[in-house]
Amino acid sequence: MSTRSATRVVSAFFAMVLALGAGGLDPARADETCQSPFLPKVTGQEDYIYVWTLGVKGVADGNDSMVTVDANPTSATYGKIVHRAPVPGQHEAHHAGFTDDRRFLWAGGLDTSMIFVFDVASDPARPKLVKTISTFVKDTGGLVGPHTFYPLPGRMLISALSNAQDGGGRTGLAEYSNDGKFIRTIWMPKDAPYGYDVRVNANLNRMLTSSFTGKKNYMRPFGELTKDAEAMKQFGGSVVVWDFHARKPLQILNVPGAPLELRWALLPNHNYAFTATALTGQLVLIHQQADGTWAAKNIAEIGPNLPVDISIAPDDSKIYVNSFGDGTLRVYDVSNPFEGKLVEQIKLGEMANMVSSSWDGKRLYATNSLLAKWDKPSDYWLKAYAWEDGKLVAKFSTDFNAVGRAHIMNFGSKSMGPRAQRGTPPARVSANVASR
Amino acid sequence: MSLEEEFVKGVFSPSFTPPPAGTYELPPLKRVSGFVLRDDTGHRVSTERLTAGKVTVVSFIYTACPERLGCPLASLALQSLQTRVREEGLAGRVALLSISFDVGRDTPAALAKYARLYGADRRLWRFATAPSEHALDGVLESYGQDRTPVYDERGRFTGRYRHVLKVFLVDPDGYIRNVYSAGFLVADLVVNDVKTVLMER
Repeated sequence: MSTRSATRVVSAFFAMVLALGAGGLDPARADETCQSPFLPKVTGQEDYIYVWTLGVKGVADGNDSMVTVDANPTSATYGKIVHRAPVPGQHEAHHAGFTDDRRFLWAGGLDTSMIFVFDVASDPARPKLVKTISTFVKDTGGLVGPHTFYPLPGRMLISALSNAQDGGGRTGLAEYSNDGKFIRTIWMPKDAPYGYDVRVNANLNRMLTSSFTGKKNYMRPFGELTKDAEAMKQFGGSVVVWDFHARKPLQILNVPGAPLELRWALLPNHNYAFTATALTGQLVLIHQQADGTWAAKNIAEIGPNLPVDISIAPDDSKIYVNSFGDGTLRVYDVSNPFEGKLVEQIKLGEMANMVSSSWDGKRLYATNSLLAKWDKPSDYWLKAYAWEDGKLVAKFSTDFNAVGRAHIMNFGSKSMGPRAQRGTPPARVSANVASR
Repeated sequence: MSLEEEFVKGVFSPSFTPPPAGTYELPPLKRVSGFVLRDDTGHRVSTERLTAGKVTVVSFIYTACPERLGCPLASLALQSLQTRVREEGLAGRVALLSISFDVGRDTPAALAKYARLYGADRRLWRFATAPSEHALDGVLESYGQDRTPVYDERGRFTGRYRHVLKVFLVDPDGYIRNVYSAGFLVADLVVNDVKTVLMER
């Protein structure tokens, strides 16, 4: 019944598209590929990159901040920092994500569990701090370390890393309304208590969560932590498959070595996702099997270099992997998702972490810094690359040494401002699917 | 097929069986106020009266919306939902309400024509807009629905609005219990949500 009914909506929709005729399907040319399917996309070249930036004592005011980098090649300030919106204090800035209407950008602190909400619609170049949520631990009944901010319609889904009781890895997911009101907590299953990333595939009604480690590990100096054999056992080794709508775990997949970022494939009938394991250096495929259940398979040996962030090409042909250990970006051909082939690698610089592909697959951005106490003294930057004649070519490098350490990147557009212009068509849902 | 077309096809390829009604929770997101709107006959209508004691599915649309994956899709979804609600014998317990955010152009006549286009049964599915822009702002704010006018290069209004397709499930006490966007607007899933809310009573 359900599938039939769903198919009816789809069929009616396509019939209408055909009936409407002229113009074909509106193109959506650029956006990061790794966001929620519920997030509208902006079209054309991204104008800005919002960089959630870790504050460093003695650097500027020392505060964490939302930094805007101009990413439009036609702009006089291309590649430059054009705005910085500080928040009071240092919170272990790490991840951030837009609300479902792309008007607000939520950013979290892994240390203090504070959440900062920036208005990015009133003036897209200049995000403005409009709300602070300081009750995350209390609201959620003890979750600590808000990590992924994943937009769902009308609400924000947040994966946490730890808990207030023992600072260990047992954790869960929290939901807040777009207004910042707490809705509910969903604890991870007892047999797979760790958390890290969360990603939804709406077509399959499936949600995946991955696993890292608790606060007493991630806030500890890296050298000290790696020498503590007991502490090193306290990392997650699973990916959980959920019924998204019911928010109920269905299956626990054994993926040893702290699988971090999750990326769903984007094309129809590509019922699979990828992750990379930080401690065991594997690129892993999470795929649906013929009977509807899910399985994990190692598809490439990345190596013992602490792979961290990953990004997917819009046609599912490539996975980009940044490694903290050797500061290298590796590009894997995953046209055959069961076998990853290393096709390109670039030395980015020390402590590479985040990597984001533009939706059209032409541009790639990377930053460095992982966690305040895991980083070493170094240069901190955002670097931009573009595919030209089959090679990744450096476009610009933005010096972050005067503002802090650059973490997650979210793309902004002038067209998302209050005076939306024709020619930069309205944000639409058409390409939402391009950004799981 | 172009990459864009594949993506569009991808977003509307729901292939799952929604979880059975009553087996999951739909915690309230927020309470929405009652409003006085102007319906497709030109009469003032209170949303509280329209939805009293019912689970209401509310969509925000404008009839001139050219975004094929925007308002027309929402209205097709409500059309499909209207059929499913009847099939399930829920007609007396469910209301569908499409609110236009184009106060100036969506006259009662325009809304009535649009309602006919989608085969809306007035007993089940009503169309309305706010009596003024100011009143509309209050409605949009209450639901959390965005809407931004689109201007041309010379600063003239193009007649288009940028907005994210959202459909709201509102319980008989006025609390939003779920929000759907294009990627998850599946009639059977919404019907199961309606039943889940009704089972609480």
